Amino acid sequence: MGSKQRDEITTTEGFRARPESIIQSSNDAIITKTLEGAVKELRDIKAALDEHSIVAITDPAGRITYVNDKFCLISKYSREELMGQDHRMINSGYHPAEFIRDLWRTIGSGRTWHGEIRNRAKDGSLYWVDTTIYPCLGPSGKPEQYVAIRTDITGRKADEAKLKDYAEELAEKNKELETIVYTVSHDLRSPLVNVQGFSQQLARACETIRTAVTLAPDGKVPVLALKQPVEATIPQALKFINAGVIKMETLLAGLLRYSRLGRDALAIERLDMNALIGEVLAAMKFQMEAARADVRVGLLPACRGDRVQTNQVFANLIDNALKYRHPDRPPRIEVEGWVEDGRAIYRVSDNGIGIAPEHQAKAFEIFHRLNPDSSTGEGLGLTIAQRVLERQKGKIWVESVEGAGSAFFISLPADAPQAASPR
Amino acid sequence: MNSLPPVILIVDDDEGHAILVKDNLEAAGLSNRIEQFRDGQAVLDFFFPSRSGPHAVKGGTYLILLDIRMPKVDGIEVLRRLKADPQLQSLPIIMLTTTDDTREVERCYALGCNIYLQKPVDYGKFAEAIRRLGMFVTLLHVPPVNRG
Repeated sequence: MGSKQRDEITTTEGFRARPESIIQSSNDAIITKTLEGAVKELRDIKAALDEHSIVAITDPAGRITYVNDKFCLISKYSREELMGQDHRMINSGYHPAEFIRDLWRTIGSGRTWHGEIRNRAKDGSLYWVDTTIYPCLGPSGKPEQYVAIRTDITGRKADEAKLKDYAEELAEKNKELETIVYTVSHDLRSPLVNVQGFSQQLARACETIRTAVTLAPDGKVPVLALKQPVEATIPQALKFINAGVIKMETLLAGLLRYSRLGRDALAIERLDMNALIGEVLAAMKFQMEAARADVRVGLLPACRGDRVQTNQVFANLIDNALKYRHPDRPPRIEVEGWVEDGRAIYRVSDNGIGIAPEHQAKAFEIFHRLNPDSSTGEGLGLTIAQRVLERQKGKIWVESVEGAGSAFFISLPADAPQAASPR
Repeated sequence: MNSLPPVILIVDDDEGHAILVKDNLEAAGLSNRIEQFRDGQAVLDFFFPSRSGPHAVKGGTYLILLDIRMPKVDGIEVLRRLKADPQLQSLPIIMLTTTDDTREVERCYALGCNIYLQKPVDYGKFAEAIRRLGMFVTLLHVPPVNRG
């Protein structure tokens, strides 16, 4: 069609006798045809754009003058509800004021803005859109309208958030692994040095005895030659070798216990803490009586946590209160609790030996023992308590006065509905 | 100037290690007096006496063999406190510990330790390391402490 038209033009131009009007009308036809082609092309591009993108147009003040179907679909508003409204009606309030100001500054000065925005649909649901806002400039160079083209990236944003969670979880696991590696490099090597060293001393003692035997006239070994190895060297060496082996056994068992913690599935439920502490105390009845301990439990708020693990945490704290009691007075242990900002806080306090301020942070370190001579233990109780609580969104910290006693604080999510409705 | 040999302070919570170190130092022919501390707090109390108990003598010479992982105050903290004190910072401190973690080594040198030695698990190497350390110590000139 078009090429035929062009042929005609050449033909018409060939004849000088033809009136100008004919050329004119022929030119109009060409323009019309070209415009029709251009309009069709634009319509096709718009149709393709509408299929792919969320499109809206606003006037310079931000009032909506056009939305496509995808915009209505994602915002859950009808076209009638949107037209003429301020575009801010889908603002989610998520972005800081500076972010919005920068957007308007950019497009207001005639530059294209590109970024990711979180919007709020009519039903309150939130969605993320990757957004390009193009200012259409008038003859004066001022924007006459803004065309916003968006892509729904809600799914990608959710994936990103999930990735971030995974990354945090991994970082946590790495921290745990590093703790284990550190422990292995420090603590497991120490007993090995002793086992090797004192074995060597045993070997030397054997050598001393053998020499004495070889040198003994008529098989009679002088007592003096045997005194040192038999009475000092050998018993000492055996003592340290045994202690080293037991130490390694304890450390390995503790490491396994610590590393298996992360694998136990948690069952988070409402915990009646008075009942739970009651169970803990009942299980420790014998130790309590032996220590002549005076235990007082106040009215405790309920919380949300794992029953078995939370029980272990409190059992450990009460066991510590008994273990680190002051030699001059019978132990007095108090358990109190209250709710603060949606958290249930519990305090387990005692009148024991206390912890000096400079040692308090160390109390939670793996295999760290503040008083290795005064009692038994592997130095894992508080480390595990802290880890167990972290896993169920809890916290533990200590306040203590050396010589007067310690107070361990535990914070767990309060059991919200129970706390909200007065009985 | 070269009066008494320095008193060697072994700071180690592991009694076995302390005995093995002491035995090997003596086997190397060292005649220095050797004192033993069970944790970091004990050695800090020795240099910063707050209560009655053994404490450093003004004008005395000391050399510290310091373990890292100890109850209460660890070796890193002892090192930090001693090297931060203008009157004690010239006190030679030899880290003697089981770990060879490079970050730990770097940290100790950054805090001003004079030497970092790993206690080898292999006893032959352990004995050799301590013997050489003993020979090295006899060559050292140690400044007297200005505190007591």
